[in-house]
Amino acid sequence: MPFFGSSKKSPQELVKAIKDQLQVLGTKSAKGYQTDKKVSEDLTKNLQVMKTMLYGSADSEPSTEVVAQLAQEVYNTGTLILLIKHLIRIDFEGRKDIDRIFANLLRRQIGTRMPTVEYLCTKQEVLFELLNKYEEPETALLGGRMLRECCRIESLTKILLYHEAFYKFFDYVELSTFDIASDAFSTFKELLTRHKMVSAEFLEANYDRFFVNYQKLLSSENYVTRRQALKLLGELLLDRHNFTTMTRYISSPDNLKLMMNMLREKSRNIQFEAFHVFKVFVANPNKPKPILDILLRNKDRLVEFLTKFHTERSEDEQFIDEKTYLIKQITELSGPKDQMEVLK
Amino acid sequence: MADGDMVPQAMTLVEDEYPHVRMDPFISIMEDPDEVPFIIHRVDSNEIVYQPRRRKAKLIGKYLMGDMLGEGSYGKVKECIDTESLCRRAVKILKRRKLRKIPNGEQNVQREIQLLKRLQHRHVIRLLDVHVNDEKQKMYLIMEYCVCELQEMLESTKDKKFPICQSHNYFGQLVEGLEYLHGQGIVHKDIKPSNLLLTTDETLRITDLGVAEKLDMFAEDDTCRTSQGSPAFQPPEIANGLETFVGFKVDVWASGVTLYNMTTGLYPFEGDNIYRLFVNIGKGEYTIPDTLDSLLSNLLTGMLQTEPEKRLGIQQIKRHDWVIKKLSRTPDYVPFPPSGEEGDVYRSMSVVQYLEDLHSGSPSDDEEYDDSQIFSDNIPYSANNNAQPVVKENTIPEHKHKKKRAKSGLLASCKQS
Repeated sequence: MPFFGSSKKSPQELVKAIKDQLQVLGTKSAKGYQTDKKVSEDLTKNLQVMKTMLYGSADSEPSTEVVAQLAQEVYNTGTLILLIKHLIRIDFEGRKDIDRIFANLLRRQIGTRMPTVEYLCTKQEVLFELLNKYEEPETALLGGRMLRECCRIESLTKILLYHEAFYKFFDYVELSTFDIASDAFSTFKELLTRHKMVSAEFLEANYDRFFVNYQKLLSSENYVTRRQALKLLGELLLDRHNFTTMTRYISSPDNLKLMMNMLREKSRNIQFEAFHVFKVFVANPNKPKPILDILLRNKDRLVEFLTKFHTERSEDEQFIDEKTYLIKQITELSGPKDQMEVLK
Repeated sequence: MADGDMVPQAMTLVEDEYPHVRMDPFISIMEDPDEVPFIIHRVDSNEIVYQPRRRKAKLIGKYLMGDMLGEGSYGKVKECIDTESLCRRAVKILKRRKLRKIPNGEQNVQREIQLLKRLQHRHVIRLLDVHVNDEKQKMYLIMEYCVCELQEMLESTKDKKFPICQSHNYFGQLVEGLEYLHGQGIVHKDIKPSNLLLTTDETLRITDLGVAEKLDMFAEDDTCRTSQGSPAFQPPEIANGLETFVGFKVDVWASGVTLYNMTTGLYPFEGDNIYRLFVNIGKGEYTIPDTLDSLLSNLLTGMLQTEPEKRLGIQQIKRHDWVIKKLSRTPDYVPFPPSGEEGDVYRSMSVVQYLEDLHSGSPSDDEEYDDSQIFSDNIPYSANNNAQPVVKENTIPEHKHKKKRAKSGLLASCKQS
């Protein structure tokens, strides 16, 4: 049995020690949480030993057998959730090690099996504990990083998307602390774009609820939220995996109105992003009547507006082509009566 | 004095024809440093004689050209450096004259530029800049730098194949890239090892979207009509000349042939000519060597299904056990083959010599440079973005130029000795 560094503990003893120390730190007395310096220091040391067991050190490779024992012990004792729960009571070095330990365990693979992923599928509360970290400013970014690590795995993404707690993201991305809100947005985006089929199915199945919430982001007071949300919307709609969602989205007159308003936003960046969503409504060969009506009613104004729209982008051939195409499409729009004649 | 004895010895050794012997006195000196504190070491004249610089700096816009990386039917690919960001890049030089000779050549290039401009993904090559020189009928596509093609690596090995773990690594990345392309409504139609590049950190990049097709945003499915891909990688529906076919499954098939090729060094279908090849592909009969494990042959069988409907989709491939499986790196992992005539194992930046020429090229050493030429070399710094390359860029005279200079170098060394 190989030993690591100065520690003589077996994986079982190590996990037990860590768990005990976490319990001490996590005990709430009348005065609040205990801050036992000694325990805290020991815990950090133990975490470091654990990290070395998983990653090996400069002169020793990690032993598969020790790693297997360690992982098994972590699952059996439910240490992962404790580590995440008490993240805030662990010092900086310890937190960093937890991040690495978590990543290593998560990526652990035996043949085609991923034991930690299987474990997390049965202990989903670990994932939601991570999600809750967004409400704890000190550990939000670390929690976010661990959560994105989970987003790499399709099955975990699915759990997160379909859970009630997913909708908390709509609040998190608007948190007043900018870096936490941005971090939450990147996790949100990862969940919706990484595993194409999972997110496409999710969007189809939860279309109404998702877009009611998403609408709030698009009309947020916060410029960054608005811009990011609009950009992501464009990305989602233009991905062929989300074909069904796209056709549904561009059939709604409210969505069209929103985009037309965003075309006139003060920020040119938002105008530009809005253009890339707006073009989908116009390019649709099977425009439903309400959409067609809006476009027809605004025909002249739209043509005039688009002609003057972002004329300084003379280098961007693609944009110019698309704009020309849209102007042509709108100019050639004909009312329902004319259409009927064509049909005859 | 002790070192007095050493000097003639060193001198005689220098005259020796075998350079490795020359090291010997140094070794003895190292062993006894006190005795010989100083030594005059004469070097063979060949080593110090001025080697004329044959690399002549040439700027296209802000990009300084380096050595050639490869050559295709359309023109050359050269290494270059962005003189503003100092990033290493590759430039694809397209000559209209050559493009005209290729069926749909010009059209394909236009389409490739259109497509690449909007794509942004870890596994798809990035097009960074385009320069057009109407006068010379040339087009320069500035792309991110990649070390080499999978094809080149395959050819550097004895059996023209990779170890399984290496194929696994590249294949997984290929699938990621294809998923993205398909998500963007793009059918690549020409997936094969020579269109897969690797960056220095071995990230795979899909390249050459010359014959790719972008589906209409509102097209219900991925029906395609045209195909111009490489014959050996074409699926039965194309080999059999069907009018329409399912686009995404064409890429799946070609990826299957690619995987087959990487892991076995063979092709599933062969033929003396394109007709025979297509007959064989159309029949859909092939064998998987039993050296491959059952998971891998199961995946290959799934990807090389004659019926497109039965063929695996990208999502199924992503979830296939062989793809999910973790493989550890084996010692027979194929490294990047050495580059250039000199066989540089590090594939060093070739623009350095051109940079030297650009910044320290002094006219006094060589009559062939006159001040005006050096001056003109520097002008492009102030040139605008639509830069007309100032230095005359004409390959044939440049070759002559090189030879001439080499000769003068030879003369110079004679004079000195």
